[in-house]
Amino acid sequence: MRTTATSNTKESPYLHTLPVRVWHWINAICFVLLILTGLQIRYLDVFNVMSFEAAVNLHNWTGFVVIAAWFLWLFSYLFSDRITNYHPDLNARSFFERFIHQIEYYSYGMFKGEEKPHQVQPYDKFNPMQKLTYQVVMFIACPIIFVTGLMMWDVSMFAGSIELLGGIRVVNTIHVLLFIVFTGFIIVHAYMGSLGQKPSSHFKEMFTGYEEEHAESPKP
Amino acid sequence: MMMISKGGERRCRRTITGLVTLIASQVLVATALLTVPVATAVGASAEEDAKCLKCHSRNLKKSLEDGSTLSLHIPGEAFADSVHSKIGCTGCHRDVTTGKHPSREPIDSKRTYAIEQNQVCRKCHMKLFKQYSGSIHATLVAEGHPDAPLCSDCHSAHTVEAVALYDPVTGQPCKDCHEEIYDAYSQSVHGMARADGNVIRAAHIQAPICADCHEAHEVSTVSATEGLQATCLSCHDGAAQAHADWLPNAKMHLNTISCAACHSPTAERRIDLQIFDKLTKIPIADGGENELALRQQIRAGEATGEGLDPVELWNLVRQTSQEGGVTEIILRGRMEVTSGVEAHRLTLKASATRDCESCHQGGSTSFENVTVSINRASGQRERFAADSKVLSSVASIDTLRDFYAPGGTRIRLLDWLLIVTVIGAAAIPIGHFALGRYLRKKARADEVRPSNKLEK
Repeated sequence: MRTTATSNTKESPYLHTLPVRVWHWINAICFVLLILTGLQIRYLDVFNVMSFEAAVNLHNWTGFVVIAAWFLWLFSYLFSDRITNYHPDLNARSFFERFIHQIEYYSYGMFKGEEKPHQVQPYDKFNPMQKLTYQVVMFIACPIIFVTGLMMWDVSMFAGSIELLGGIRVVNTIHVLLFIVFTGFIIVHAYMGSLGQKPSSHFKEMFTGYEEEHAESPKP
Repeated sequence: MMMISKGGERRCRRTITGLVTLIASQVLVATALLTVPVATAVGASAEEDAKCLKCHSRNLKKSLEDGSTLSLHIPGEAFADSVHSKIGCTGCHRDVTTGKHPSREPIDSKRTYAIEQNQVCRKCHMKLFKQYSGSIHATLVAEGHPDAPLCSDCHSAHTVEAVALYDPVTGQPCKDCHEEIYDAYSQSVHGMARADGNVIRAAHIQAPICADCHEAHEVSTVSATEGLQATCLSCHDGAAQAHADWLPNAKMHLNTISCAACHSPTAERRIDLQIFDKLTKIPIADGGENELALRQQIRAGEATGEGLDPVELWNLVRQTSQEGGVTEIILRGRMEVTSGVEAHRLTLKASATRDCESCHQGGSTSFENVTVSINRASGQRERFAADSKVLSSVASIDTLRDFYAPGGTRIRLLDWLLIVTVIGAAAIPIGHFALGRYLRKKARADEVRPSNKLEK
C-alpha cells in the first residue's frame, strides 16, 4: 500500500485509505439523514416534512447502512497496520499533557501562528483530542446507538435484551441521549474540519486521502 | 378473505359441535328423566302440575319481610311450552310435596329468594353452573350487586327457553341490562352483518353475537383481561400477519393497543397502567393485605391533586420494592377506549385508524387520559386517575419501562437537553471564530505598538 505521493512541492503523507474514506462519507451522509429523520420521528408536532411512517422507514434503512459502514471501517482497520491510529496511549500522564497542549493550541496557539503540537503521520494521524474523541465515538457511542436502534427496530425480537437493560423507555432514552451527543458532535466536527491551512483542506483530504497542508504549503 | 374463512370454518365446527352436544344432552336428559327420581315427577307432572296451577294460575301474592310482595302467579301455558315442563313444578321445587308446602316460611326479599333458588339450577346443569360461577355476573352477585343477573334473569324462571334463546335482532337477553352497549354493537360491522342475513360476505360466516366474545355462561369483561386480542384473533386469525405487512413492530402494537382503539376510530382513547406482580407477571387482583395496602397508597396519592403525578407514581412503585413493602409491582401500559360502548363500535377495517400521526406526535389526544388500575375479583378494573405527565416525565423511565410511543410520549427533559446541546455546539464555532479574530487583531496591534513607541 502506498503511503506517500509526489506533489509539486513535497511528498504528501497518505493519511486515509480508500475504505476509510468510503466509510467516512457514507457515515457522514447517513448520520445527517439519521439526525434529520430522528428529529422528524420525535418532533412531528413541530415540523412535518415527511410522514411518520416514511421517516421511520428511512431511519431504519439508513441505520442498517451505517451499521454496515461501521463494520467496513472496523475491518479496514483490524486488517491493516493503521490500527495504530486507534491504539490508546498507555502513558496517561504524557497523553494528558499533550491533550492540554492541544487545547491550548486550539484556544490561542493557532491564532498566534504557533506550530501544531501534533504532527500528522499515516500511522499516528490523530492528535490527542481527536484520538480520545474518536475512540469514544467509534468504540463506545456508535455500538451503543446501533444496538439500541436495533432493539427499537424490532421490540419483540429483542424483548429479552430490552428487559435486561431496564425496559423500552431506558433503551429509548439511551438512544436519544446519544442522538443528542452526535448532533452536537457533527456540528463541532464539521467546524473543526475547517481549521486546516485552508477551510477546505481537511475536507479535500477526506476525498483524496493525502494530507493537503503538506502539498499546498510545505513547511520551511 | 383467508383470514375470515379460517375463522368461519372454526365457527362452523363450533356450531356443529354445539348441535351435537345439544342433541346428546337432550338424549342424556331424556335418559336421566327416565332413570333418576326427578323422572318420577315427569310421569305425574301433568297431573301434579295441574294441582299446583290450580292455585298458582290465580293472582297469588306473598308478603315478604322487606315489605314488598312476591307474585306467585305462574303462566300455565307458557310453562307448558318451556323446556322445563317435562320435569314439572317439583323438578325444581323439590321441597314441595302433597303434604308439605312452604307457603308459611318467611322470605326476606325477592332478591334473597332468587339467589337461593338459583342454586336449584346447579343440580341438573352442573357444568354450565360451574362456568357461570366463574363469570363476572356471579362475582357481582357474590359482591352483593343488586342487579347482577342470576340464571333466571336471562333464562326466566318459568318460561325457560332452549339453547338458542339469544335473539340477535332484539339483543335479548343481554340488551336488558346492556342496552347502550348492544345499540353500539348493532351499529358495528359485526351487528350490521348479523342483522343483514347473518353472514359476512359470501363465506356463510356468522357474525359474532355477545356470547361469541364474552361467553354465554362464563361471561367475562373481555377488555379487563389480556384476552381481547386473543378473542379477536380467534376469528381474524390472519390479522396478525395483515398488520405485520405494513405496521412496524406489529406484534408490540397488537400487545399494547386494544383492537378497538384503532378499529373504533371515533372512540376516545385512554392509557391504562395496570398493576402487575413483578415476580409472577400476573395482574394484582382483589384480596389480601398487600393489595389493600397498595390501594390505600394509590388513593393517598390520588387525593393530593388531579391524580397520581410522576413522582407519586414513582414512589408507589419504589415503595413496593422496599423491604417490608407490599408485593413488588410493575406497571404495564395499554391503550384502550374509554368505555365499553365505544369498544363495541367496531367498524370495517377500511375505516380503521391507520395514520401513525394520531399517536406518534407530541400533544396527541391519545395520551391525555391516563389511569392506573387494579383488577377486581370480578375481572373489572378499579381505576385511579393519573396525571398525563406521567407518560412524558423523566421520573417515569423506570416506572413505565414497558410503555413508550416515539414522539407521543417523549421525555420532555430530553427536548431541553437537545436545545442546550445544539446551542452549545453552535456556540463553539462562533466563539472560536470570534476568539481567533480578537487574538489576531490583538497580535497585529501588539506588532504595531512597539514601532509607534520607537517613533515617539
